Amino acid sequence: MNTPQIVEAVLFASDAPLSPDEIARADERLDEDQVEEALQILKAEYDDAHRAFHLTEIAEGYQILTRPEFAPYLERFDNVHRPNRLSGPSLETLAIIAYRQPIGRIEIEYIRGVNSSGVIRTLQDRSLIDIVGRGDGLGRPLLYGTTQRFQEHFGFGSLDDLPRPDELPIILKDRMPLQESERSSDQEEISEKQGLGERPADEDADNHVNEASQDSGA
Amino acid sequence: MDLRFAEGAIVRDDFFLVEIDRFQGPLDLLLHLIRTQDIDVFDIPVARITDQFLQVIKGLDEEDLDSAGEFLETAATLIRIKAQMLLPHEGDDDDEDPRAQLVRRLLEYEQIREISQRMRSAEADRARRFSKGFIPARPKRLHQEMPLETTWADVLSAALSVEMPAPRQGLPRITARTISMQDKVVLILDSLQDRSGVEFSRLLRGFGDTMHGVMTFLAGLELTRQRVLFMRQSQPFSELWFYKNEEAEEGVTEDIGRIEVDT
Repeated sequence: MNTPQIVEAVLFASDAPLSPDEIARADERLDEDQVEEALQILKAEYDDAHRAFHLTEIAEGYQILTRPEFAPYLERFDNVHRPNRLSGPSLETLAIIAYRQPIGRIEIEYIRGVNSSGVIRTLQDRSLIDIVGRGDGLGRPLLYGTTQRFQEHFGFGSLDDLPRPDELPIILKDRMPLQESERSSDQEEISEKQGLGERPADEDADNHVNEASQDSGA
Repeated sequence: MDLRFAEGAIVRDDFFLVEIDRFQGPLDLLLHLIRTQDIDVFDIPVARITDQFLQVIKGLDEEDLDSAGEFLETAATLIRIKAQMLLPHEGDDDDEDPRAQLVRRLLEYEQIREISQRMRSAEADRARRFSKGFIPARPKRLHQEMPLETTWADVLSAALSVEMPAPRQGLPRITARTISMQDKVVLILDSLQDRSGVEFSRLLRGFGDTMHGVMTFLAGLELTRQRVLFMRQSQPFSELWFYKNEEAEEGVTEDIGRIEVDT
């Protein structure tokens, strides 16, 4: 039995994404690097052989999924429970949490401008977000972050697969997960171009959040 | 904040109808007002936007205080900004444009909205790829405890071998049992004298009445109870075999005539 075959057997028997170190548990002689190598071999094999499925990188792991062009055939069997598409408010809230995690409810509501406790609960019930800690502010607010289920739902290989801020038409990088250097230069550009004052945006934004939490506390 | 303030607002020729329910919140509405009128977001005409905003939120459902409050809060912010804009400018460079904070929020919200649209299409792409287990398992067999398979052909042949009962004439008559189980016990044991097993159907050969079948079966059950023989059927509706129990005590089978039968 060669390594790609062992890896294939493990992937075949699983209905959820598996990470290379999880796959490596199949045999003491396997390490993650060998599994990674085997995964690339399998991936190429499936693609070359035009299989109806491919090896997909999803939720920080690998899973065998059918190719999208076969969806019309498979959808005819659609009588088991499938996760519903998310509503607009849910997507909006998830986007905020994905980019700003860990983040508390007050800050989410400040960005959206509307009460979000119901949406947060729904997302939590669907295991798309989870409590990841507590903030330092008044009452030690709960902080939320996205889960592995979130990545599975959207087919993201990792959080890096989220749309990059620089692909988007409007760039606000002050608190986006970006490199320090990238951040400061772009920030200056925005302030200069718009003439919105000299105050650094980071400090400014933090002030607003504090304001918002005070408001709601009153 | 008083909504009547809006009554006095100057409604310009660019008045337009906006349905408040369409919007997820005040930021959504503000963005709509700005984007549909091709307004430069970095130079918002606060007075005009404020008027339009107030115009639209007049349609708010007064019962729904939660969402009304959110719109009213933003309306208050707009009016505060409008007032700040009217104050004489100090000329001090450190003064921030009163609109800056709102603009930042709007842009941030717009970006989040853009991201959530991309996430929606990612979600749709993902929904077109399926993992193992998507197609449901076949329903479970009802009679899982049955060890052997029965095919439709078996069922059909069994059905065909059933004799149609004779049409009943008049009232049912109860007759004395004319066939004794003792006779059947003897018949079974006789048949098993020189062989280890005998088919149920062979024991019925030559007897027409259904009652012979019933009595032979009862005799078989009785002998089974006494561990003289055992019965086997390989599958439902197939041939029933009577086998001699080789482990039975010698005396019983030899003493054929004297086996006591409970009747």
